[in-house]
Amino acid sequence: MISAIGNNVPESFLSLSQSKTGIGKINHLTTRYKDEFLAGEIKLSNQELADLVKDNNPALNRNSYIAMLAAKEAVINSGIDTNDGLRTGVISSTTVAGMSKTELYYKELFEKDEHLSVLDTHDCGDSTERIADYLGNVDYVTTISTACSSAANAIMLGCRMIKHGQLDRVVVGGVDALSKFTFNGFNTLMILDREWCKPFDENRKGLNLGEGAAFVVIEGEHALNLRKGKALAEVVGYANTNDAYHQTASSPEGYGATLAIQQALTMSGLTPSHIDYINMHGTGTPNNDLSESFATKAIFGNQVPKFSSTKAFTGHTLAAAASIEAVISVLSLQNSMIFPNLNFTTAITETGLVPETTLVHTPLNTILSNSFGFGGNCSSLIFKKA
Amino acid sequence: MTKAYINGIGCISPQNSIDSEWFFDTINPAKGDYFDAIEPSYKEFIAPNLLRRMGRAIKMGVAAGNIAIQQAGIEKVNAIITGTGLGCFEDSERFLLAILNNDEQFLTPTSFIQSTHNTVGSQIALIMKCHDYNFTYVHRGFSFESTIQDALMLFEEGKETILVGGIEEHTPNFVVLNRRAHKFQELQSNTPIWKSTTPGIQMSEGTAFFVLNKTKTDKSLASVDGIQTLYKPKTSADILNKLNGFLKLHNLTLADIDVTLMGFSDDVNFDQKLQELLPSIEKESVAACYKHVCGEYHTASAFAMWTATKLIEKQMLPKVLAISDKAPSKIKHVLIINQYLGINYSFTLLSQC
Repeated sequence: MISAIGNNVPESFLSLSQSKTGIGKINHLTTRYKDEFLAGEIKLSNQELADLVKDNNPALNRNSYIAMLAAKEAVINSGIDTNDGLRTGVISSTTVAGMSKTELYYKELFEKDEHLSVLDTHDCGDSTERIADYLGNVDYVTTISTACSSAANAIMLGCRMIKHGQLDRVVVGGVDALSKFTFNGFNTLMILDREWCKPFDENRKGLNLGEGAAFVVIEGEHALNLRKGKALAEVVGYANTNDAYHQTASSPEGYGATLAIQQALTMSGLTPSHIDYINMHGTGTPNNDLSESFATKAIFGNQVPKFSSTKAFTGHTLAAAASIEAVISVLSLQNSMIFPNLNFTTAITETGLVPETTLVHTPLNTILSNSFGFGGNCSSLIFKKA
Repeated sequence: MTKAYINGIGCISPQNSIDSEWFFDTINPAKGDYFDAIEPSYKEFIAPNLLRRMGRAIKMGVAAGNIAIQQAGIEKVNAIITGTGLGCFEDSERFLLAILNNDEQFLTPTSFIQSTHNTVGSQIALIMKCHDYNFTYVHRGFSFESTIQDALMLFEEGKETILVGGIEEHTPNFVVLNRRAHKFQELQSNTPIWKSTTPGIQMSEGTAFFVLNKTKTDKSLASVDGIQTLYKPKTSADILNKLNGFLKLHNLTLADIDVTLMGFSDDVNFDQKLQELLPSIEKESVAACYKHVCGEYHTASAFAMWTATKLIEKQMLPKVLAISDKAPSKIKHVLIINQYLGINYSFTLLSQC
C-alpha cells in the first residue's frame, strides 16, 4: 500500500497508530488552487517513484508507478511465488487512470509529436498490465471502474473467481493518482473541504482528495495449503448493489448502502451483532455521511458497532479507497486496534452517531468495510480474522 | 456447464445494425482510415429530459440496451454489466479541455459527472430502477469479455436475467491524434484484411447489448457456452493449444465449429498470430472476419458476438464476412477469436439453442 500516510504498509501502520494524517499542503500536483486546498499526496515525486520501481521507461506514469509498488509489496508480503504453475490473476481498478500525465500534454499533442505516447497509457487497463508484467507469470488480467467503490469490486471479483475455480489466487486492489482533472471535477461539484475533512461531523464541509494504491493477495484454500501459507484474514461476505437514485448523490436514506450491508451480512451468515467494527466510507461530504449513517442505523438499530472513517488520514483515494481500507482493516484485525476518525467534534443531529476519535485497543474478529461511488455503486465487504 | 441464453440484442455500429432486419446486405465503407457509428434518432429510446444532457457513449449505450430489453420482452434485470475501454471519452475530453483552456476556472460539473466509466451502467440502472448488481469493466480488449465471464458466474450464483454490453466512442480530436501517431491506414482494396502486410487499423466505435438468461425461453436466439481470455500469448501455437483446451471443455473440436469469426484488424503487427493461425482454422472450420465491417475498438468483440448471434439466427454466413471459399452447411457452433493490439486475445463460443 502506498498513500499519503506512507510508502508501504509498515509506514502506513506507524502513521495510523500515531494518529498522524497524511493530508497537507499540495506539493506535487500542478494546480492554481494549490494554496487554497489540502490533499493527501504521496510524498514522492515521479522520479523518486521511478527510482523505487527501478524502471525509467518513459511510458510509465504516476498511476502505474504506485500500482506496481503496492502490488509488488503485497506479493512479497504474501510469500506466493507466481512461477509455481498455479493460476494467478491481477484484478485492478482505477477511475482516472493515466489522466495525471495526459493532462500535462494533451494540448501540446495537437502541435508536437513528442508525447503522443500518452495516448497509449491513458486508459484504465494500462496500469493493470504494467502490474501483471512487473509481477510476471500472470494468467489473467482485468480492470474495474465503478467510481469510488472500484477496489471493493475488485476484491469481490477476485473472491468469486477463486470460488468458481477460475483462478488459484489473485492480486486485487485499486489505484488512482491525483490529477488536475479529478481535483477540478470535485471542486466544481463543491464537495471539497478547504480544511481537513471531518467525516461524520455535524459541521463537515466535504472531502479532501488523496491518491494511492493498495493491493491484497487473495488465495483459495487449495493454493494456501499447497504452500503451507498462513492467511492474514478471510473475506467472508461481500455484496454489490445500486442506489439507482442519482448519478452522483446518494439517496437520503441510503437505500443502496443498506442493501449492500444487508446482503454482505447474509452471505457471511453473521448477524449485525457479530460486527466488531465498521470502517466506513465516510468521505466527509454532507450527503455521503448522512446517507451512510442512516444505512448504518437501518441495519444496526441502536447497537451500532464501533466505527470510524480513515479518510481523514489518507484523503479520499477514489478507486484505491476500498483496497486501502481493506489493508487498514487487516491491520486492525492483526493488531487489535481501531484507528480513529480524525477531526470529529460534533455528532450529526439527525443520527447522533459518534465515531471512535482516539486509537482504541480492543480484540477484533469481524470488520465491515463500506465503499460507495458515483453512479449509485454500493459495495460492502466483511473481513474476518484468520 | 452454465450457459447464457441470448434473449435480446441491440447494436449500434458503423453499419445499419440498429435496424433489426439488416443482415450485412448493404455495407458502409470506412471514412478513409476510420469509422463513425451510425446513430439512430434517440427519441424513440430515451426520454427527452435525459437525452439533452447525455454524451454520445451514454446515448448509444442506453439506446442499444433499450433495444435488447424490448426484444427480450422484459422489464427487470438482476444485473447490469458494461464493458468499455475508454468510457465516456467525449465528456472526459470536454472537461479536460475546459480545465486546460480556462486555467481551471469557469468549469461546470456536467461533463465531469458523465466522464466516469460507469456512467452508462448507472444510467441504465437509474432508468430501470435496478438496485441489483452493477459492474463496469474497463480493461482494453477484455472489457466486454469480462462482462460475459461475470454473467456466467452470476448465473451459477443464482441470477436469472442479466443485461451486458460493450460501449466505445471516439472524438474527432482522438481520431486526429491517433492518426498523427501513425496508428491508422485505409483498408486496401486489393489486400483483404486477413492478409495485411502493413501496420494500421481503422479506428471505430459502437455499442452492442445483450439480454442474457440463465434458462432457455421461446425468445432465446442462441447460447453463449463459454469464454476465455488470453493475456499476451507468446506464439500462435500457444493460442491454438489453448483453443483446443477451451473447445475440449465443451466437448468440441475445431471440426465442430461451423464458423470461426476472427478478429483481423488490418494491422500486420497485431494480426500476425492470427495470420499464422488461419490455415489451422480453415482446415477444420469455415473462417470469417468482421473488423473490415465494424472497425477496430476495445469492445469490437461485442459487435462480433452480435454477428455470431445473427449468423445462428439466420443460418447463413454473408459473403462479405467470409474468408474461406467453402460455405458452412449449417451453423450450430460459432467461435469468435478476437484480438486487440496483439495483446488481448479471447475465445467466445456460441451455439444454436
